Amino acid sequence: MTTAPSAATPAEVTEIDASARCSLLLLLGSALAWLVLSGALALVNLVQLNSPSFLAECPVLSFGRTQALQETAFIYGWAANAGLAVALWILGRLGGSPLRSLNWVITGTIFWNVAVTLGLVGIATGDAMAHTWLHLPRYVLPMMLVAYGTIAVSGVLAWTGRRNPMTFAAQWYAVAALFLFPWIFSAAQVMLVFTPERGVLQALVGGWFVQGAWTLWLAPLALTSAYYLVPKVSGRAIPSYDFAALSFWTLLVVGGWTGGRHFIGGPVPAWVASIAGVSCALLLFHYIVVGLNLRAAFSSGGSTVLKFVAFGLGAYVLGGFLDALTAIRGVALVTQFTYFTAAQSQLALNGAFSMMIFGAIYFLVPRITGQAWASSTLIRAHYLTAIIGTTALVAALAVAGWVQGHDLNDPAVTFAVIAGHTKTWLQVATAAQALLVLGNLLLLGHLLKSAVSSLLAPATATFRQPPTMEASVS
Amino acid sequence: MKNGFTFFLGLFLALALAWAGIVLGSHAQLGHLAPYFDENEGKAFPERLPGIAARGQLVYQDLGCAACHTQQVRRPDFGSDKARGWGDRQSVARDYVSQPHVQLGESRIGPDLANFGARPLAVDAERLTQYLYDQHGGMPPYRFLFETRKITGERSATALKVPAAVGMEVVPTHRAQALVAYLQSLNNVYEYPEARPVEPAEEKKEGAAK
Amino acid sequence: MSDQTPIDPRQEQAGASDESLLAAHEKLLGKKPEDGAHYKMLPLALLFVFSGLIFYAGTYLNHYSGHYDPAIFNENAHPSSGAAAAVKVDPMVLGKKNFELVCATCHQINGLGVAGVYPPLAGSEWVNGSEERVIRIVVYGLKGEVSVEGKTYSSAAMPVIGKVTGSGYNWSDEKIAAVLTYVRASFGNKAPPITAEKVAEIHAKEGDRKEWSQDELLKLH
Repeated sequence: MTTAPSAATPAEVTEIDASARCSLLLLLGSALAWLVLSGALALVNLVQLNSPSFLAECPVLSFGRTQALQETAFIYGWAANAGLAVALWILGRLGGSPLRSLNWVITGTIFWNVAVTLGLVGIATGDAMAHTWLHLPRYVLPMMLVAYGTIAVSGVLAWTGRRNPMTFAAQWYAVAALFLFPWIFSAAQVMLVFTPERGVLQALVGGWFVQGAWTLWLAPLALTSAYYLVPKVSGRAIPSYDFAALSFWTLLVVGGWTGGRHFIGGPVPAWVASIAGVSCALLLFHYIVVGLNLRAAFSSGGSTVLKFVAFGLGAYVLGGFLDALTAIRGVALVTQFTYFTAAQSQLALNGAFSMMIFGAIYFLVPRITGQAWASSTLIRAHYLTAIIGTTALVAALAVAGWVQGHDLNDPAVTFAVIAGHTKTWLQVATAAQALLVLGNLLLLGHLLKSAVSSLLAPATATFRQPPTMEASVS
Repeated sequence: MKNGFTFFLGLFLALALAWAGIVLGSHAQLGHLAPYFDENEGKAFPERLPGIAARGQLVYQDLGCAACHTQQVRRPDFGSDKARGWGDRQSVARDYVSQPHVQLGESRIGPDLANFGARPLAVDAERLTQYLYDQHGGMPPYRFLFETRKITGERSATALKVPAAVGMEVVPTHRAQALVAYLQSLNNVYEYPEARPVEPAEEKKEGAAK
Repeated sequence: MSDQTPIDPRQEQAGASDESLLAAHEKLLGKKPEDGAHYKMLPLALLFVFSGLIFYAGTYLNHYSGHYDPAIFNENAHPSSGAAAAVKVDPMVLGKKNFELVCATCHQINGLGVAGVYPPLAGSEWVNGSEERVIRIVVYGLKGEVSVEGKTYSSAAMPVIGKVTGSGYNWSDEKIAAVLTYVRASFGNKAPPITAEKVAEIHAKEGDRKEWSQDELLKLH
């Protein structure tokens, strides 16, 4: 199936990897630190659901604030940093020349993380805004926008200045994510924070922002990783690649229209929710194509990287189908306003996004540090905690939400009874979240160890020259 | 995808199209929505929040109350909102035009609060203040909205009837008082023309059969 | 993977070089199906799925778009016509409120006026008489002497109430009609109601003018 490496094949690890070491390690290290913090806060949140008086005397960690904190730390701490690191690295490698303006990446990363820290302190002390995914207080927003720009410019330069005129699906997704987020973020800032819209339009802009940030930023970042890793590790070209472009544009064009999917039966004109439901259904085409194109991940042949990606892909496609399902009015009648929505967002964030990015982290860190990971046991342990934790968390929340939704629709069932019905499932979710935090802590430690040893010791990892991929496989 | 400029233009257009459709489209429809002036009553609805209630809305926002409570009633034949006594009609866009920070919420771990001000618990400010202090079912106590202080002269009128050390009293802070005023102000009972229940469109079904 | 050695998760090897990965996919994009025999079923099925989804989307929107009307919150609803949607104003309620707010200052809440200063409305021939005349008085005001039920009142003037230049009130025709209807049906008066259309008609006929005098009005009616 593959030929022996020819003399023309360049080395697997080059200057591209080594030069990006510091900036990418900074991005990844801060990302994982935020992920652990966010996980710990999510754990506090779940404990509070089971025993409401937990930490209730502490105003910084009231239930609502803790939720805002963990969400912000996840999106702007973990997802932004890690997604940028992976996208920059892949754009650099496929572009064929070392990343430029890396000093700006480091500066931007520092300022971004300072802004996120200030934002979290602001939320904890009472400056939070009440928009999902945009709880950040107003004073950190402009700084974040500038910092994001300084990091992302390196990726856009790698794309526009690429040596190789050919492009690949992973690059499309990466460039789209890097380029579109500032527009979405600044439009949402202006319309929600600086010159807020009136009435329900605030909620509508908020809904558009969340769906835009997912379909045009986080999902493309995750797919960058998956589209690169699956053919790269398996050595097999993507089947029905003709559809990759159509699927890409479906996500971009239709994704933004799903913004009204949480407003079914709500105080916005009926067409908003109808269009969102229809768009969720149209996106199924994108999900099907992604699933088919990247199905090689499911026959991983023992590669842990591909196992992570496969789990992420499964979660991504399943999440797409659940979105389309719950955007139908009859289903939303039960799932709306319940833990089921939380299950869906955990499936997307912890299940799809994090898993695909974990895969990329395990693949890229040995290449940029020149050091193999310290322990394969730690990698396996993290893999197990991640898949068990995520599956249990999502399943428990989904069941709890389904029960809660049916109970809510029966006016005879009081809230105390509903709490009793969901208690067991929420306890399962709490345990699952604890497992997730533990696993992510392992990865953080593992990464720090790699980073330290790469500073102290010369490169020891050995990457053999990869074979050449042939066009007409399968 | 090889042509960089076309690619960026495509990306931008994809985003701009959805933004124009969802955000600008609804802005064009609802951006100028005004309170409804009722000639019979000589007032416009919804009424503006009184100053203290507007401050209370900020407390509601910064404590993240929307994490557990929605403020949107679904129509009577869609869910049990009416049967649970949350409101007789569905919430409409006009209900929110006077609110500086709209708190629709996405989760019903606790009950909907869109018309909370009309419920027995909210009518009595003293009882509602006490409610925030105690724990009830799944709702945590909000003790940090209260302060325990020494009684100087007479007991304050706002002091809670809770056990406190000798010579001490538990009083709500300004934030608690503002929050209570805001919760009491939540009442959207005025029936706007667009909020009346509608007959399902019958002739639509014929269209579907064609 | 091309070799049989177990994969070391600590440093996973690549299955293809970046250059060949790019080149291979570039080639795939330009590839055309060679002939009918090798035509793949998968692309066909995907196209069917795509068109099926678009068909579903169109049908759904056709039924549940709420006619893209900002006032429709229930996806099953008709667009309501403007007349049906407007709240019906009760002229007696609106009239009473505005009468008590403005007119009662002089004419008193019981419509009896103040002897020698403000003429009464209860039983007045001006109120219960010609509807056009009473509309003219309220819209444009009345200056100078006026005799009501045989008594002459001269010290106060009826102000301009309608939407006329120099008016201190600028009431709409609907409001004036409601107040007149209320006055003509209260304090023992039993004259028929006055419609907003009638007020609008007089208003349009007279245009912008100064206050009436008693003589002018008596000449007209």
